[in-house]
Parts: sequence; structure tokens; C-alpha cells
Amino acid sequence: MFDPGELEQIEERRKQWQETTLKKNLERLRLDESPVQLYTPLDAPNAGYLEKLGFPGEYPYTRGTYAVPIFATVYAAESDAVGPRAGVYAGYGTVEDTRDLWRAEGRRGANVAFDLPTQCGYDSDHPMAEGEVGRVGIAIDTLDDFETLYEAFDGMATLDRMASNFTINAPCNIILAMYFALAEKKGVALSQLRGTPQNDILKEYASRGTYIFPPDPSMRMVRDSITFCHKYVPELNAISICGYHMREAGASEVQAAGFTFAHAMSYVRLGIAAGLDVDEFIPRFTFLDFGAGMDFWREIARARANRRIWAQIMRDQFGAKSARSWIMRGGDSVFVGPSCYTLQRPLNNVVRGVIGGVAGYLGSGFGVGGVPFDEVFGLGHSHEARQLSGDATRIMRFEAGLGRVQDPLAGSYFVEALTDQVESEIWEVINRVEDLGGGVEAIKTGYTQREIAHSAYEAQRQLETGERIVVGVNKFTGPQEMEVLPPRLSHPYDASKIESAEERQLARLRRIKSQRSQPAVDAALKAIGEAASKEDENLIPYFIEAVKAYATVGEICDVLRDVFGVYRPEAL
Amino acid sequence: MSEERPIRVLMAKPGLDGHDRGAKVVALGLRDAGFEVIFTGIRQSPDDIAEAALQEDVDVVGLSCLSGAHRTLFPRTVQALRDRGCGDVLVIGGGVIPEQDILYLKERGVQEVFHPGTLIGAVAEYIRQHLPAAGGKESLP
Repeated sequence: MFDPGELEQIEERRKQWQETTLKKNLERLRLDESPVQLYTPLDAPNAGYLEKLGFPGEYPYTRGTYAVPIFATVYAAESDAVGPRAGVYAGYGTVEDTRDLWRAEGRRGANVAFDLPTQCGYDSDHPMAEGEVGRVGIAIDTLDDFETLYEAFDGMATLDRMASNFTINAPCNIILAMYFALAEKKGVALSQLRGTPQNDILKEYASRGTYIFPPDPSMRMVRDSITFCHKYVPELNAISICGYHMREAGASEVQAAGFTFAHAMSYVRLGIAAGLDVDEFIPRFTFLDFGAGMDFWREIARARANRRIWAQIMRDQFGAKSARSWIMRGGDSVFVGPSCYTLQRPLNNVVRGVIGGVAGYLGSGFGVGGVPFDEVFGLGHSHEARQLSGDATRIMRFEAGLGRVQDPLAGSYFVEALTDQVESEIWEVINRVEDLGGGVEAIKTGYTQREIAHSAYEAQRQLETGERIVVGVNKFTGPQEMEVLPPRLSHPYDASKIESAEERQLARLRRIKSQRSQPAVDAALKAIGEAASKEDENLIPYFIEAVKAYATVGEICDVLRDVFGVYRPEAL
Repeated sequence: MSEERPIRVLMAKPGLDGHDRGAKVVALGLRDAGFEVIFTGIRQSPDDIAEAALQEDVDVVGLSCLSGAHRTLFPRTVQALRDRGCGDVLVIGGGVIPEQDILYLKERGVQEVFHPGTLIGAVAEYIRQHLPAAGGKESLP
């Protein structure tokens, strides 16, 4: 970009500037060194524009995943309605409560939050489920629960005209089997189904904790969903690979990205080992989100670097030929996670969310107002907090016009240098995990878990010593400061229904168990046990038969526990 | 009864919640502050936790829960400790615990609940000041 002669001149002038203008300024301010950094063409990367940046929607995607940022056109900020979109993640009380709420809201898509017993493969009547049923989402014990939930869409949308997201991992294929069984009952072809199960089990071991079985049989079940969906449900995204949970658990932006890509590579290898061509199945992989912290510049650089890294992984390491395999679908965002939010002076969280939104526009082509500020009070956002978050999205877009230019920081001496630096740091993490034998091995030895825990502790240590400032938490907490509380919060749900959900769900489970044919359940469970012990067998058809007989998630998981064993984490 | 014995803390995650960042960070922080800390890992029942507290002869049990099940699981753990004759163990808690639940938990034997944003130094100070005198481990002035 600059010829060597010009760079020499710049270097010379920079030296002069340091010795004269800068020095004088520092003396006047009584500083030994400048508190701000300055970047010049001397720091800018040398390589050419076309190889490293190129154009949006083209390799290496530094300037954007798509030629026109997709979210800029479809995101709901265009609509007048603040109310829930089809995509809002929810699960409240029992399936009946959620069905009624969704009906009242006029939803046309399902984005299901499951309670922890369901996510961990326990029925609502298991001793470990006590107190947890219907808490962080709904309980799905049997297909009957699933059928009741989907009554929300009767007369609104049929399964072939809606999408369903299932945030579930270890028992993911059992839930998918329910979706397929429901489609069969409603006469909708599997090839018409759309949706996204989370299905990213590796990050569960690394951070989120809803694992059941050891890594190897868990990966086999991910393979089952990749191959089954490839063959029968081609419109369904087989997996949604997540960095966000590891970031929230304490991973740095570099670790979260590195581990996520290492996990993604492990999933890619499953499809290849099953005999599929990468270009056939990778277009059905999605990423959820990589999470983000408050370091504005590094998050922008990370977002730009991520696109470039995935494109290189797919094209150069896995030899994908289709551009559809090179793009990081879904994960291209900057979204400040609630671990950055504070209970202290909670309205400040609106500002934190907006900083993530601005970083999103600068790094990913779009930004949103962030997690509603009242996330810190517990699950279930208020109408008011959702309004603020939605309005923040609109103000960034319509008043400030942040989305008018794509990748506006490209060419910045600083941002390009930082993007290169963050990219090489992420590659270091990926390469270290690969040296350990890949994402699965790094989980088995506890490496990934330990790295994340160390980073979490380091962040806390910096908070304790004051090296890292969090406003209202470890600084600016004096008696002259005010606690600014929101005046009034109203919720779309009735808290008493959450309190009574466990009891009502237990009644549902008792009823279905008394009505179903026990011999049919026993036969289906026996078939699962036999198929599970054959590594090559795809278990999904067996799950479909079992859920149609109203076998429970817990019963199916118990059979699998007998064959696969259960995962026990390494000690801290 | 020796004053040299470090204070022993069991950090525990009752229930199915897998969010263990807070529990791990507090465990590591208290260890650095001179306590002996055992972390149970996630997915422990109240009985598992009380049994571990008994076996490890701890002075303090720290409970962490972010799933909303604290109203069931914290009092259940206090009861399980009492059932084993460990009623003098100091039980403290943390997590996303709504303000209105704190009194409910305190009435049921949870002695203090720490919010997100609490510095570990404050937790360590609290423990040193509130250990039952019967244990002979209260900090000297």
C-alpha cells in the first residue's frame, strides 16, 4: 500500500514527532509515557488488499459474510411490533403454559427452552429433578408434552411453514425424534422440516454442564444427527456450534473462538468419517454466537478474524470447494454476554449492551441492543427491559445509521493490525488443541475446562486488585454514588405458574404412563439398547419408535447410560 | 481445637445447574486466601453435599445455584446437614438469587447469600467473622 521510500519518511517523521511534539506534551502533563497508543502505516499489515480483505461475501470474508449483511434486511427492528418474534427463546411453566403464552402472542415459530432435568436426561419424577422442573424452561418427558406444546400453532402455522429451535444437547436426538414423530403424525414430510437443534455437546463439557454420556458416544450421537438429517431432513441445520457459553464461563475472546473452531473441526470430521463430502453437509452447520466482553476493539478484531479463520479451515484444511462451506453461518456477531452485566446499578447494563451493538456494526455488519438489562434479576425479561433493548437496536440503526457502511474500519492501521494479531492468537489456541489430539481429546484430559477456569479466576483476580474496573462493582461505589433502579417492571408471565409447574408436570407424567402400552415401551427400549451397542448403527430411527410409544426421555437415557456409561468430569 | 488448622470449606453445586464459574472462582479465591477448599463439582444432591461435608469435616458449606431451584435445594441441604449432626456448619450461598428469596433462605438456615459482583475478599472476611465459636476457629483480633 505504501512504497518503501514513503514508509522510511513516515518512520523518520514518527521519530521526530516522538522527540518533539509528543515529548513536550508528556512533560506538560507530567507523564512518563503516553496513555494512548498511536498506529501509523508502519504498523499496518504488509500483505495485499485482495488476499487479506477482499470483498464482502467473498473469500476470505474479512469484510463480511455476505455482500449485503443478511441481518440488516431481516432483523425485526424494521417492524413496529416490539413483541416476541418467532425466534425469541422461551419456555415457561409447563408445556400448557408455554402453549397458551405462544398462542396469545401469535407466534409462528418455536424456540424452545427446556428445563434442566430434560436437558440432563432425567424425567420430572427423578429425585435429581426436584426443584428444577419447569424452572429454566419447560419439561418434556414424553411425546405427549411435545404434542401439547405444538398446539400453540394450530391454525397459525403448519410444521412445513415454520422453524423450530431446540436448545438441547445431550438428549438432542431424542427431541429431534419427537419432532420427526410429530411431523409423521401431522402428515408433513421430513424433507419439509426446518429448524436448528443446538446439538453442540463439546461445549457442554467445556462450560455449560448439561452432559450425560462420555465424549465418544456423545459424538457418535452427533454423527447420527448429521447423517440422518443429511439423508432425510436436508432443510434442518444439524448443529449450532457455540462459543458464547465458554466465553460466559470465563474464556477470553481468543480462547472462546479457538475452542469453538476446534470443536467445529471435530464435528466436521464426524461427517467426513461417515463418508460424506464436506460440501454436502457443512452448509447445514450453523454457529450460534461467540459471546463478547467489554473490550470493544478486540471484539471487533475477533469478529473480523473469525470469518477469515473459518474460511481458511474449510477451504484449506478440509478442502471444501463450495463457497457455502466457507462462510460462518450464524456466528457472525458481537453480543456482550450477561456475565458483563452487573446487579449493581442494573440500568448500566443497557449501556453495556449497546457497546456490544456498536462493536457488532463495526465488526460484523449489524448490531443489536443486547440482552435485556434485567437478566441479572433472574430468568424472564420484563416488558420494559425488552422495550429498552429493542429501542436500542432501532436507535443504532435508524437514528445513528450505523449500518450504512459495511466493515467501515477496514484499512484502519490499528484495526487491521489488531485483526491480524487476534487471528494469530486464535490460531495458536486451535493449533494447541489440535496438537493435543483435537477438541474431543482436549475435553477428555480436562485441558479445555482448566484453561477456561484459569481465565475466569484471572478475571476475578483483576477485579479484586482493581486492575480491571467494573463501574459500580469495584470502583465508583462511594457514598456519593446513587443506585439507579428501574421504576416498574412487568412480566409476560405469571410467577405462580412457575411455582406450580413441577406438581402439574408430575401429574401429566403419571397420566401418560398409565395410558400408554407398557409392552410397546419395553420393546422399543430394548431395541435401543441393542442398537446402541453397535457403534455404526444410527439410533434416531429407534428413538422415533420409542417416542411414538410414549417412552420418556429419562427411560431412553437410562438405557443409553447402561450402554455408554456416564461422564465424570476431571477434578478442578 | 488447634488454632493452626485452616478453615475448611466445601464449595458445592446442588441440583442440575451447570453454571460453575462462580463456584470455581470462589473456591480458587478462598484457597488463595488461606482456606482449605474442596469443590464438589456440579450436579450434587443435598444428601451428596451433606455427606461430603461430614466426611471432609468442613466448617463451611458454600452453595451456588443459578437455575432458580435454590428455594428447594438450599433448605434441603441445611436439613441434610442437620440430619448428620452437622448443624453447626456455616452455610452460605450465592448465585442469581432474587432479593425476595433471601429472607426465605435465611429463615431456613442459610446464614448469608452473596450477590454476583461480591468480591471474594468480602466472602473470606464474612467466614472468618461468622464461624461458630464452638469450633474454636474464630479469627483473633
